[in-house]
Amino acid sequence: MIESPSALPNPNFAVQKRRLRFLGLTIDDTIRAFFGGNAFVAVVVLALITFFLFREGIGFFVQNRFNVELYRQAGLEYVDHIRRQADDHAALSRYLSDLRLRQFSILTEREKRSLADTNTALAPFDTFAEQFSASADPLRALLSDLTEQATALKTKFVVTEDRKEERRQLLAVGKLAEAAAVEIVAVDFARELQPLIAMLPTYQTANRDFARTLAELIERPPALVQVELASRLATFQRFTRDYVAGFPAIERAMAAWDYRQPVPVWHALTSFIFGRQWLTASFWQDWYGILPLLVGSLLVSLVALFLAVPLAVGAAIYVNQIASLREQRFIKPCIEFISAFPSVVLGFFGIAVLGQALRTLSQQSWLAWLPGFPFSERLNILTAGSLLALIAVPTIFTLAEDALNNVPRAFKEASFALGASRLQTVLKIIVPASLSGIISAVLLGLGRVIGETMVVLLCAGNRIAIPDFTQGVAVLVEPVHTMTGIIAQEMGEVVRGSVHYRALFVVGLVLFLLSLAINYVAQGIVRRYRISIG
Amino acid sequence: MTTRPPSAFARSSALSANSPASRLSPAVTPEVLVAIDHVDFFYGATQALNDICLQVEAKRVTAFIGPSGCGKSTLLRCLNRMNDLIEGTRLSRGTIKIHGVDIYQRDVDVIELRKRVGMVFQKSNPFPKSIYENITYGLLLHGRHEKKHLDEIVERSLRGAALWDEVKDRLHTSGLGLSGGQQQRLCIARAIAVEPEVILMDEPCSALDPVATAKVEELIQDLRSRYTIIIVTHNMQQAARCSDRTAFFYLGKLVEYADTRDIFTNPTNPQTEAYVSGRFG
Amino acid sequence: MNPATHLFQAKVSGARRHEKWVFALFRFATYFVLFCGLGVFLNIVAKGSRTVFKAEAPFVNIAFLTQAPESLYLFEWEGQKREMGDREFRAFKAAHPAAAQVPTESYVYSAGGIFPCIVGTVLLVLGSMVIALSLGVSAAIFLIEYADDGPFIRFVRLAILNLAGVPSIVFGLFGFGMFVIFFGWNVSLLAGWFTLAFMVLPVVITASEESLKAVPKGFREGSLALGATKWQTIRKNVLPYALPGILTSSVLGIARVAGETAPIMFTAAYVVRDKLPWEVDHWSDFFFQGVMALPYHIYVVSSKIPQNEYTERVQYGTAFVFLIIVALIATLSIVLRNNLRDRYKW
Repeated sequence: MIESPSALPNPNFAVQKRRLRFLGLTIDDTIRAFFGGNAFVAVVVLALITFFLFREGIGFFVQNRFNVELYRQAGLEYVDHIRRQADDHAALSRYLSDLRLRQFSILTEREKRSLADTNTALAPFDTFAEQFSASADPLRALLSDLTEQATALKTKFVVTEDRKEERRQLLAVGKLAEAAAVEIVAVDFARELQPLIAMLPTYQTANRDFARTLAELIERPPALVQVELASRLATFQRFTRDYVAGFPAIERAMAAWDYRQPVPVWHALTSFIFGRQWLTASFWQDWYGILPLLVGSLLVSLVALFLAVPLAVGAAIYVNQIASLREQRFIKPCIEFISAFPSVVLGFFGIAVLGQALRTLSQQSWLAWLPGFPFSERLNILTAGSLLALIAVPTIFTLAEDALNNVPRAFKEASFALGASRLQTVLKIIVPASLSGIISAVLLGLGRVIGETMVVLLCAGNRIAIPDFTQGVAVLVEPVHTMTGIIAQEMGEVVRGSVHYRALFVVGLVLFLLSLAINYVAQGIVRRYRISIG
Repeated sequence: MTTRPPSAFARSSALSANSPASRLSPAVTPEVLVAIDHVDFFYGATQALNDICLQVEAKRVTAFIGPSGCGKSTLLRCLNRMNDLIEGTRLSRGTIKIHGVDIYQRDVDVIELRKRVGMVFQKSNPFPKSIYENITYGLLLHGRHEKKHLDEIVERSLRGAALWDEVKDRLHTSGLGLSGGQQQRLCIARAIAVEPEVILMDEPCSALDPVATAKVEELIQDLRSRYTIIIVTHNMQQAARCSDRTAFFYLGKLVEYADTRDIFTNPTNPQTEAYVSGRFG
Repeated sequence: MNPATHLFQAKVSGARRHEKWVFALFRFATYFVLFCGLGVFLNIVAKGSRTVFKAEAPFVNIAFLTQAPESLYLFEWEGQKREMGDREFRAFKAAHPAAAQVPTESYVYSAGGIFPCIVGTVLLVLGSMVIALSLGVSAAIFLIEYADDGPFIRFVRLAILNLAGVPSIVFGLFGFGMFVIFFGWNVSLLAGWFTLAFMVLPVVITASEESLKAVPKGFREGSLALGATKWQTIRKNVLPYALPGILTSSVLGIARVAGETAPIMFTAAYVVRDKLPWEVDHWSDFFFQGVMALPYHIYVVSSKIPQNEYTERVQYGTAFVFLIIVALIATLSIVLRNNLRDRYKW
């Protein structure tokens, strides 16, 4: 029968003797270490992501500083003073054409004049506009000369740098003769910039003429066909006077300009974070400012959340608190199913159907009261935002529904026992009790849409500019570009190791940190306000 | 009380001659199998056991009784180091010796220990395998593979657990298909299949109906001749019915440890008396 | 008092009506979401099935599913509009030398099929799921079975949570920086596998953890009390019961892997590749080749070529095939999970 215990006491009882060991570890310890190592992979991956984004991206700041420095040394900054002046003038010209368009539409639509008649009526205005536009011609000619000189200088410097690099590489592989043959002409900025600086008196003379011409022009404005537009003309006059008044400041800035002024180190960072331009492969000067992309990403995400949050939270409340069990069984898998839609298919749907549908909708006359309607760009913030909303809804719905589910039954029962109606219970007990969960659900939804790539790449319109916020809500029908979109679009085309390439990695880094921050806040909210019972 | 075999009384009466003072002192007798010596035990910062001294004698049924949270289950789980599985637990002082070997010393192999000290849990936990596989599970782990031998042990264990006649025709159906009482006896059969010396039972009948409880208690009576059984129970009648010695715990301390008959008829400690007479707990 | 009323008579009050309206609004929100989802789905299905299915036997457009993409040529020939794929057009020109002078319009990728894309996607999904499952299940076993709560584990959990929130394009950049450049694997299956596997890792870990947690504690204690080692317990008495759950929940991960475009854009996907993945000189080249993939192909055909009646076929057809594949996987996971919930109750 069953073995009886051996004689007492037994000093060998259960003392371990015979387990296999490697390096002092038993098999079980080894297995444990193996699994532990696997779990650690998550940490390692996160660390590697950080490391490789930094590895590829960090060089950007060095290169970008060099980029900004060259902008100054080659005189591009100097020339840009005049360029801005010319650009401002062009903006004023555009204001005039806008004014003409308004007069034109009033004459043709309200007064039903014929085309020829209208043009005759507007002839004095056109003459004025032409004179105004032509007044800047000397300035533009000067600008074009200077641009050429500065660009030539920049090219010269870049070529020299390339040669230096070539020689370095030749030396590295030991080809001394070839290295010596590489001709390097040091660029003497002081000498090369001389003609540019020498241009200043010419510019000042031209500027004085220009100012006088403008002042004269503005004193005798054309008669407007419509009195109600007079205020616009007055505005134009004010703008022009302000413009002319700014000339001495420009001249002073140019006179004070010095190519030797050092570019501060932090400039590489600030020109990235606060840069309002993302301009690449330009003949003049590349700028890597993340602001337009960040603004684009945020606008698209906000539109998506604005649409998704009410729908998702409403649906979560409905499914969790109101719907019958059968409805729940039907709705939940359906919404899960929506979450499985590949984003690239949604993006394609946006291009093929939704963009056109929204534009057609915006052109309906009964919707004209909406801000921004009608719009002409098929692919814009609204299109991308609507599709992203469809992506955000399942995420927010699932998490919010979980949060509602976690509200203890006792709360609900207590409320009902006090004679509260279902609506009162839902709005005053259930939702407040799960609010932290709902907020974190919304935040995670934000994380989801801000990191979404394909939809925005295909549907956001991809115009790299900060949209014009002065038009109010109508800004939401402008095309933008986004952080995710720019990486996806430009990564395949850039030269590895170039400043542009590194800039894209830095955008990725920003995106990464942003998503970590959103995650952190969402988790913090959940942890902090978790309901504890019992 | 009438169900108890008279031999149990005969043996325990020899011990009950000891004075109360000597019961608590670590008197070494050849029959002592498990010696618990000044044990303090913590769950994190909470002290669950406070200076426990206790000797469990071989081939007896020892019952641990006491109100909820008194530490009796904790002590039981210390005996095969199942507490190791719970985070933040530690035996901060004292020793537990089985066969004179400190089971908390460093070179003790927990696996080997658990093989020798089996356990039956409060909630019956047959694996979702067939009855046969449930029994052979432990054997296969320890490298016994011959089919004939396994069949033999399965039958012997199920007979030992008084379950053979009820299940012999459906050995290959799921253990989860048995009734609650049968499941618990299956767990006992599973435990004795690996031939332990000690069987720890953590409230084995608390989830069973009276009929099933009676069967398990009967089984305990049968097993006492071959195994050292330590049973934790809430049910004082059960302790009285089937144990030889009883230890009463209260708030992590061992209040009294004596022959079962003495505890229930003539407790020396007023707390014990209050508890066994049903005034608290 | 009116005899018809009593103390608890239901009254039509303003509050009641208010409640009804608000609930109707919530209901509207729910069904509006479903409606939008359905709208997108039906649009793709309706237009895509025109490409993929045919009215006559065998009812499926076999060519579309088994051929490689090619350019579409449009021209007028003897007063008739003709459209031909690249190969067909070349054969036609050989037969009718005069056709070489005919002015043609051409659209890339608009003829032929999408077979290489389907193959590429299947390969990407299989490889990345093998990696993700082996890493993820092991990690979950550690977290559930072995780990004691401590700073290390909290750190690991935090990392998993955060990994789940990292945008897919960032995974793409990371995969590009690490596998493609640093390891020098170039644009390859291997780089895509690891990138996708790391992306889906949090999903797999979470799913595996849930399944492991669902195995009752009694199974472990019972086994350990019989003298089983930890690993024996896990292998024989925990994993077998957790595995169905792990696999079904991970199917959702498959849907995610199959559906993502951004991570493979720079790591594994080619715009066009003539050879099929198994046409390699040496077996090791298999791992270091880029592939075409359905999601990337959709991106290419929807953004790089114009939208018109000729290109629409391939655009909708690809989107349809892709959507159906992903939807089938997702449905499978949902159904399996619901079944599993009913079957395993202990």
